[in-house]
Amino acid sequence: MLEFCLHVLIMSAIFGIAAVSLNLQAGTSGLLNFGQIALFGIGAYAVAILTRAGLPWPAALLAGMAAAALGGFAIGRLGRDLAAEYWALATLAVAELVRLVALNEDWLTGGPQGIGGITGLFPGLDGPARALATLALAAALLLATALTARRLGETQFGRVLRLMRENPDLATALGHDIVACKVKVLAIGGAMAGLAGGLYTLYLAFIGPDQLLPFETFLIWTMVVLGGLGNVAGAVVGALLVTTLYAGIPFLKDIVALPSDLTGSLRVFAIGSIVLAALMLKPQGLVPERLRRLHAQRP
Amino acid sequence: MARMNGLPRVMSSGLTRRSANGALLGAMALALLGGGAARAQDTVTLGAVLPLSGASATIGEDQRRGIELAVDKVNADGGVLGRKLAVAVEDSGGRAQSAIDAARKLVSVSKTPVVIGEYSSGNTIPVGQYLQREGIVHINPGSSSPVIKTIGDRSFSTIGLDDVAGKFTAEAVYGMGHRKAVFLAPNNAYGQGVYTETKAAFEALGGQMVANLLYTEGQSNYRRELQRIAAAKPDVIIYSGYGQEAATINREAFELGLSKTPWFGIYLSMCTADSRPETVEGQMGMEVNYVGPDGAWYRDAYQKKFGKEFATTFSGYTYDAVMMAAAAINKAGSTEPAKIRDALAALGDYAGATGPIAFDAQGQRKTQPYIVVSYKSGELKTAAK
Repeated sequence: MLEFCLHVLIMSAIFGIAAVSLNLQAGTSGLLNFGQIALFGIGAYAVAILTRAGLPWPAALLAGMAAAALGGFAIGRLGRDLAAEYWALATLAVAELVRLVALNEDWLTGGPQGIGGITGLFPGLDGPARALATLALAAALLLATALTARRLGETQFGRVLRLMRENPDLATALGHDIVACKVKVLAIGGAMAGLAGGLYTLYLAFIGPDQLLPFETFLIWTMVVLGGLGNVAGAVVGALLVTTLYAGIPFLKDIVALPSDLTGSLRVFAIGSIVLAALMLKPQGLVPERLRRLHAQRP
Repeated sequence: MARMNGLPRVMSSGLTRRSANGALLGAMALALLGGGAARAQDTVTLGAVLPLSGASATIGEDQRRGIELAVDKVNADGGVLGRKLAVAVEDSGGRAQSAIDAARKLVSVSKTPVVIGEYSSGNTIPVGQYLQREGIVHINPGSSSPVIKTIGDRSFSTIGLDDVAGKFTAEAVYGMGHRKAVFLAPNNAYGQGVYTETKAAFEALGGQMVANLLYTEGQSNYRRELQRIAAAKPDVIIYSGYGQEAATINREAFELGLSKTPWFGIYLSMCTADSRPETVEGQMGMEVNYVGPDGAWYRDAYQKKFGKEFATTFSGYTYDAVMMAAAAINKAGSTEPAKIRDALAALGDYAGATGPIAFDAQGQRKTQPYIVVSYKSGELKTAAK
């Protein structure tokens, strides 16, 4: 049981990083990135390919972050003239393109079979020690990511990002270069998502094109929205909650001893209703964004 | 699909469940008070990861039925090591991440020495690799990608992989006198595996594979692929596709007049299941048998328990997986994964519901009784080979 709990915490930390990244793009900056899994996937595949080539994992992880940052930069440049909704659709298309490349370039990505048998983290340790070391690493990286995102939100740049979210025309009128901001935040978000993807590959020792389906993007979106769009802590809470929910629901049938033919439907039903209930009760998310009040708004 | 299927069952069994509610609460309390530990001692629990929801839910449900039948059979015959056999079934949702989560739950919480699963090669491979790392015995009852061979010494298959299927297909097609073939299949772990193996076997016989069209799944039409096939002027079109997609392909091929060229479907029942009959009339194909040559009893047991014909061809393979695991545990006299593995490898020829099963050095099913079938006025008929 302990090992399973550790596994859930490790996955929560990894998806926490991906959620913090999406929150920075969507929550803080209002960029509706529906292709988050592409940035995650670029990091994941880069790490898989590089460790297979013999690179030690820390170096591979850094390279994966760089590759995903480059990916974010490209997505930002790509749609620089598109309106928000159109750009959102374009990101979805880009994510599918990345998945199709992973599916078809066998020589590099292993094609539909994916890349498996990766050595992964801390091969010297085993059992619970390995899981604990992995958790410590993932949690430390999550903390670093969350602090970076929070710090960024407090700077002048962060204020410009929020202004861009609320009123892009006003931001432009005040002389801010919207495209540059967009590209910068996507590159930073990309590096974070790439880190999450890289850790994911190292931990599971496997990556395949099926892990880059659009469903995964929306899973990360669920985490961010459920936790509270615009709040870093919310993204972390959302990731923990959604991951625990997915991993924990199967225990429900063990406790109430349901016949196994209900297993599948129960899981889908329980996850759906809990997410829906949370959103209806807390529409702003569990940890809503706190904006500094302006003097003019005080009663 | 599964959700829809699940609904009436909940309702029909609701009555019995309601009356059992009180007992249920008591049982829950008991389980929480450590009754679980007592149960573990008189039960041997194996694990299974199946796609009970998602795109392959119909097949996952049928795989689950095979497990249920096997558990009943083993327990009726006295169980394993004098204890009752149980199989904890987990849903993968057809998603690799959930499949790995489910396998982890089985290994670290339920402590199962054997895990059976999954259906899609893309999920079976990472699950198998995880189990191999943990030293747990893995039995694949539904995937056919050749990569499964490379998982390791803890991994077994009760279904023939694509090299066996490809060889059979190549020989059947060559035997019909076709020399120039094209190949049309989905671009996924399955399609790619079966293409590689069929091509190798067909060319070794002296045939020629003039074009391969591995298509992206989920397209609204396949005219581009079909036009390239028409341009290649083959003797035969070897193809495979999942239900609805194969239906689109067959309809468009019919409209383009391509259905005049002979078609050979790999797992033909999968290819024709959702197609309009006139579009697939006369197609030939290969098929795994629902049951082996001596497996009529399994069909009867299935019909008796579930009150209908086989829903898919896949239930027999999970049945055989459970039966072989149980036999291996009895032979090993232990529930230790390492000993079960050795016993499983040394089981020799096993008379399964899906025919005789013997493992090769890599733990894969050596021979698979495939059959050649043809589609005639709405149904599949076994063709004389």
